[in-house]
Amino acid sequence: MTPIEQIIFLLKAVPVTLAISLLSFLFGLGLGILLAFMRIFESAPLRYLSDSYEKFFRSVPVLAVMLLLYFGVGPFIPIFKDPFFTSVFSLGIVSGANQSQIFRSAIGSVGRTQMLAAISIGLTRFKALRYVILPQALFLAVPGLGSEIALLIKDSAYSFIIGVIELMKHTDILRASQRSLILPYVSSAIIYVVMTFPVATFLDKWGSRKKKELGL
Amino acid sequence: MLFLLDFSTFLISGFLITVEVTLLGVGIGLILGILAALGDIYGGRIIRTIVNLYVEFFRGSPLIVQLFLFYFTIPMLTGLSMDVMMTAILTLSLNSGAYQKGYLKGAMEAVFKDQLMAAISLGLPMWKIFLYVVVPQALRIVIPAWSNELASMGKSTTALIVIGVREFLNTGISITSQTFRPLETFAFITIIYFIWIYSMLKALDMLYDKIKIPGLEPVI
Amino acid sequence: MNKILECRNLTKIYGKVVAVNNVSIGIGKGETKVIFGPSGSGKSTLLRCLGLLEKPSSGSIYFNGLDVYATRQDLNKLRARIGFVFQDPSLFRHLTALGNIMLGLKHVIGLSESEAWRKAYEALRLVKMEDWANYYPAQLSGGQQQRVGIARAIAMDPEVVLFDEPTAALDVELKWEVIAVMKDLADRGTTMLVATHELRFAKEVADEMIFMDQGQIIEIGSPEHFFTSPNTERAKKFMAKILG
Repeated sequence: MTPIEQIIFLLKAVPVTLAISLLSFLFGLGLGILLAFMRIFESAPLRYLSDSYEKFFRSVPVLAVMLLLYFGVGPFIPIFKDPFFTSVFSLGIVSGANQSQIFRSAIGSVGRTQMLAAISIGLTRFKALRYVILPQALFLAVPGLGSEIALLIKDSAYSFIIGVIELMKHTDILRASQRSLILPYVSSAIIYVVMTFPVATFLDKWGSRKKKELGL
Repeated sequence: MLFLLDFSTFLISGFLITVEVTLLGVGIGLILGILAALGDIYGGRIIRTIVNLYVEFFRGSPLIVQLFLFYFTIPMLTGLSMDVMMTAILTLSLNSGAYQKGYLKGAMEAVFKDQLMAAISLGLPMWKIFLYVVVPQALRIVIPAWSNELASMGKSTTALIVIGVREFLNTGISITSQTFRPLETFAFITIIYFIWIYSMLKALDMLYDKIKIPGLEPVI
Repeated sequence: MNKILECRNLTKIYGKVVAVNNVSIGIGKGETKVIFGPSGSGKSTLLRCLGLLEKPSSGSIYFNGLDVYATRQDLNKLRARIGFVFQDPSLFRHLTALGNIMLGLKHVIGLSESEAWRKAYEALRLVKMEDWANYYPAQLSGGQQQRVGIARAIAMDPEVVLFDEPTAALDVELKWEVIAVMKDLADRGTTMLVATHELRFAKEVADEMIFMDQGQIIEIGSPEHFFTSPNTERAKKFMAKILG
C-alpha cells in the first residue's frame, strides 16, 4: 500500500473508535447524573452506594475491568463475549464514576442558595434539581465533560486488546502487513490528536463563555 | 482464590514493577513537566511551539500508540536496542510530563506573578526566593494535581502489556493462561489495583490537608 | 385577629450557637411588620424558619392556625403560599427574568405555558420590570434583580411575603427603586414581614416594629414608639446608630 492508501485504511476505522467513545460517554453520562443525584438525596444508603461506586471505579484501571469482564465474566454471561459491547460497557462504567465527580462538583458550585430559592417558591426537591440546579450544573460541567470525551477516545484504544476492530487494530494490521513502522503509528497518533483536541478545546471555550455570560 | 497463593512471588514481582514504573514515570515526568512549563513561560516562540506540540501529541493520543511507536521506532531510528522497561519508563515519563506541564505552569505563574517583585524588593537573592517563597507555595498548589497524576499513571501502566512488560496485569494474563480461571484472577488483580490506588490517593489527601494553607488552593 | 403566619417559642440552634431564642411573633392579613436589629441578631434565621426553609430546633410554626410540623403538612405546598425574598436575590441564573417567575407558576401551581407567561408578565409590570423580561440575571443591576426576585415571590399569589434584608446588598442609589416597589406592595394590602435596616421605610408603612438582638425579641412597638421613646437602652442606641 502507498502511504495514502495506508492512511485511508486507518481512517476507515475511525467510525468504530468514535462509536465506542460516544456510546460509552452516553452510558457514563446517564450513570454519572444518577450517581450525582444519589449523593444529594437524604438517604444514607443511596449516598453510601454512590460514594463507594465512585471511589472504586475511579481507582481501578479500565483495562483490568475490560479483561475481567471479557475473559472472566464472558463465559458466564454471554453478552460479555462480545468485545464491542464489553468495551463500551467497561469504558462506560468507569466513565460513570468520573462523570459523577464532574457533576457533583458542578452541582456544588451552583450553590446552596439556589436550592433554597427554588424550594422557597414551593418546588419539590426533585423539581428543584431538575429545573434549577441541573440546568446550571450542566453548563458548569461542560469543560469537564469535554476532557472526559477526549479521555474516552484515547481509552477506546484498549478495546483492540480484546479484539475490537477499531483504529488501533487497523494500525496494528498495517504494522504487521506493511512492515512500515513509523507511518502507521505516527499517522494514527495524529488522527487521535485531531479527534480529541477540537472536542476538548471547543467545549472548554464554550463552557467558560457560557459561565461568564450567566454569571455562574 | 487460594490457587493464587501458588503464584504469590510472581504476583508480587509484577506488582512491584507496576509501582516502580508508576513512580519513575511520575518522577521523571515532573522534571520534564517543569522544563516544559519553564519553556512555555520563558521560551521564545520556537520553544513554545515545540513545547505545545509535545504536550498536544502526548495528551491527545492514546498511551498504547505512544508505547508502540517508541517500541518499534527507536531501535530502528537509532540502532540502539532498548529493553522494554526502558521503553516503558521513557514513554510513561514523556506522557506524564505532558500532563504535568499544564498544572505546573499554572502553579508557577500563580506564585511568580504576585510575589516575585515583593521578594526581590526585600533584597532576597534569587536562590533564596526560589527556596523559601516559590517552592513551598508551588508544592502546596500542585499536590492535589499530583495525586490525580499518580492515580491516573498507576492505572495507565496497564497499557504496558502491549509491549510485553511483565507488570501486574500481565501476570494476571499469564496466570490465566496456566490456570484457566480468569474470573478469580482478574477480580483479584482489579481489587489490588483499587486498594493500591485508593490508598495512594488517601495518603496524598491527608498530606495535603496537613500542609494546606487557606487561600492557597490548587489552580487546576 | 387570626394570624396567617405565626411562631411560638421558636428556637433555632446551630451546633452551639443559639441563633433564635424562644421567639413568638405572628402576622395577620394585610399587616406589614418590620423586624430590625444588629447583624447576627437572628432576623434572617427567624425568617427562614417562618418561610419553612429551615426547621426550628424547638417551638412551633402555625400557618392559618395549623401547626405545620405537628400536623405534618406538605411543606412544598405551604412554601408556595409563603413568598420569600432573599438578600442576594438568588435568581435562577440560567433563566431570564420572565423564566424565573414562570418556573414556579408552571411547575408548582401547574399553569400552562401561556397562562404562566401572562401571570409572570403581570408580576413584572407590578415591579416595573416588564421591559427587562427577556434579560438574564447577569445582565441586570442588583436593584433590578431584586425587583425580579420580588416579582417571583408575589406572582405565586402568596398569603404572606417574607423579605430577608432585601436592600442590604445594594448600593444606596439602587435601594430606593426596591423600597419603592415594597411600599407599593404594602399600600396594596400585601401581608409582609420585612427584615430591614431601612427605618424610614418602616416609619412609613409598618404597622408594628420588632427589635431583635442576640436571638431574642427585645422590644415590640409602633414606629412612633420607636422613633420617639423606645423603652430599652439597646433599642435606643441602635436607633441612634442607624439614623445617624
